[in-house]
Amino acid sequence: MTGNFPYLVVGILFVMGFIGIVFEKNLMKIAIAVSVVEAATNLFIITLGYRSGGSIPVWTMAGSGSSRMVLPTPQALTLTAIVIGLATTALMLSFAMSIYRHYGSLDVRDVRRLRG
Amino acid sequence: MSWQVHLPALLLAVPLLGAFLAPLTALGGKGLRNTWFVLVSAAFTVIAFLLWTRVGSTGTAIYVMGGQGWNLALPSGMSIPVRILMEVDAFSAFMVLLSAVAALAGALFSIAFMDRFSGLEKFVALYFLMVTGMFGMEITGDFFNFFVFLEISSVASFGLVAFWRDRGEALEAAFKYMLVSTLGALMVLVAVAFLYSKYNVVNMATLGKVIEWGMVEKTALVLFLTALAMKCGAVPMHMWMPDAYAEAPAGVTCALIAVSQASLYGLFRVTYTIFGAFMGSPVIPWVIIVLGVLSMFIGVSMAVIQKEVGRLIAYHSVSQVGYMLLGFGVGLLALSDARAMAEYGFTALKGGIYHIVNYTMYKGLLFLSAGALYYATGCRNLNDMGGLGRKMPKTMVLFMIAAAAIAGLPPFNGFVSKLYLYESTFAVHPILAVFAMVTSVLTLASFVKIFQTAFLGPALKKFENVREVPGTMLIGMSVLGVAILALSLFPTWSVNHLVEPAAKALVDQASYVGAVFAASLTGGGL
Amino acid sequence: MWDQILTGFGYWDVYAWISFFLIAGGMVFLIRSLGRKDYKQGSDQDEIFFGSNPVPEDGEDLKVPASSAYWGYTQALKPFYDVLVGFHTGIATDYAGWYILVTALVALLILL
Repeated sequence: MTGNFPYLVVGILFVMGFIGIVFEKNLMKIAIAVSVVEAATNLFIITLGYRSGGSIPVWTMAGSGSSRMVLPTPQALTLTAIVIGLATTALMLSFAMSIYRHYGSLDVRDVRRLRG
Repeated sequence: MSWQVHLPALLLAVPLLGAFLAPLTALGGKGLRNTWFVLVSAAFTVIAFLLWTRVGSTGTAIYVMGGQGWNLALPSGMSIPVRILMEVDAFSAFMVLLSAVAALAGALFSIAFMDRFSGLEKFVALYFLMVTGMFGMEITGDFFNFFVFLEISSVASFGLVAFWRDRGEALEAAFKYMLVSTLGALMVLVAVAFLYSKYNVVNMATLGKVIEWGMVEKTALVLFLTALAMKCGAVPMHMWMPDAYAEAPAGVTCALIAVSQASLYGLFRVTYTIFGAFMGSPVIPWVIIVLGVLSMFIGVSMAVIQKEVGRLIAYHSVSQVGYMLLGFGVGLLALSDARAMAEYGFTALKGGIYHIVNYTMYKGLLFLSAGALYYATGCRNLNDMGGLGRKMPKTMVLFMIAAAAIAGLPPFNGFVSKLYLYESTFAVHPILAVFAMVTSVLTLASFVKIFQTAFLGPALKKFENVREVPGTMLIGMSVLGVAILALSLFPTWSVNHLVEPAAKALVDQASYVGAVFAASLTGGGL
Repeated sequence: MWDQILTGFGYWDVYAWISFFLIAGGMVFLIRSLGRKDYKQGSDQDEIFFGSNPVPEDGEDLKVPASSAYWGYTQALKPFYDVLVGFHTGIATDYAGWYILVTALVALLILL
């Protein structure tokens, strides 16, 4: 029995991620905070599809005993979201790296030549 | 069954193929790569045009990926569309057509514009990926694919904004754009999850049929609304826009405009088609109207004082998006009231949709001519420019057309959509129309500033060797220039054939929903 | 195709505007043709008047830069523009912060 505990974790992760994005100053840490929000989103979707005591969502002619299954769609969604998350995290970290080469700093307050 | 039923799939497959084969064209050298770039762009423009005419003549097109119909091989008793579904109604087809034209112009322009740089096969690949994502957002029939295509177009555009990675500013702009954009896309995903948690479907038409007005839906709507409004640059979430638009190569910015319009399309698909008349409160329409008014006014105020051409024009994007949000917001406000709808709501909606097409054309052209100025002189700052009208007369004429159109000078098309908006928003509250008019005045003021300082004035010594930009760039700009002139000279045609079908499709929620379920009875859309 | 667009309150007719511009252009040319033709080409009458100083060779010395455009306007609205420019900080986390703030605000409005 997990109850609503996963949703609590999702909420905490979201808040942590948002606080990280808004208040952290280091570009790397901001990228990590974005990953935390991503993880929270994925956990949220996967929890939505979970049915306690459910089996894997595959129909077989032989029959698998339990007809209670976890929902397959959220798993497919999460898999796609994880792949997209990987791409964005990698790109974001490489941007941070290149920005360091040009600005000599990872502090977000120094990376503001474009303003006004 | 004609081959034309496959047009929605082709619209995605052709640019995707273009993207994946683009790195291979490096083997054949510059000529092959440029031919591929133009060929694929022309191909998807033709497909977009055919799709638009087909939807115009046979009604909403449904396409089920990899199956005869969406109800094939479903357990008996289930009637939820489960496959990957494309649904192209008149509004989608309209958006697809004008995004394709903008992307084509950007591609033609980029050939000569990017010629001095290396790694162009990757540029072409990213460009086509971005176009694929943009088309996908506009024709998809389910929300999860909307998220996937949103991310495809966003990730590709991050790479394109940072394409000049020897400039720190380009990387900075890309990082900022990426931070807000990724966050927004994740919130779209959370909103999809919220809707899924209640209805167990991600299909737009099914959701539009069963949706109610409760806590879960409200949360999802807010997440969609703010994320997509951020993607199309509504104040105060617009700050990434001038950064990214000014730093991206000009051809890319032209296509980015169309990408931001695809987000706007998503916003109105959600508010009109999914919620529509089910929306039980006027809060959301008023939020859209307030965001629109803020965008119009703050965007244009910031534009007047800018010194960089790119940033100035980009701030105008913010203010022009405000006009569309205003029009759509007023339309949404009147949606549940038939009398108000007939009196001013539908006019506002038509104004908003008309403004989308006008905006995409003239803003694309403005960015391309700013790019042409940069290409010819190497400066971005207006203070360094002057007297270029003598050296670049063709660019000047094209810029004049676009500037007159955006400022709403008669007889250009920019005024027609603004006229619709002024008159319909006046019926809601006069102050809205006043804001719209003040914005228009300031728009004219800032384009007079660019025109006067860049093209007029005495000839400068340092620009003695400046020449008119190469022919392919002029062709890219002329595509949009001719589109603006055509829209200006045939306003009745464009309203009757482009705008009205799209506006009718947007308000007709039942037909969007019904099209999917009708397709299942006849054995699918194929 | 040659009709007007009715907006519900008024109408738009592009051809009326085009004929207006043609007539106005014709009048401009008419007035211009009434001008004097007896000026001496190549003499001082042909020169730019630059406060009776010699005209600088390079256009750079006599052009008006873009930052001087609308000087009075920006000067008059300086308090407004100070706030507005200060609001565009250029810090990436502020951008995200505004987005989260607006989301929270709209959520409060609709959920309460």
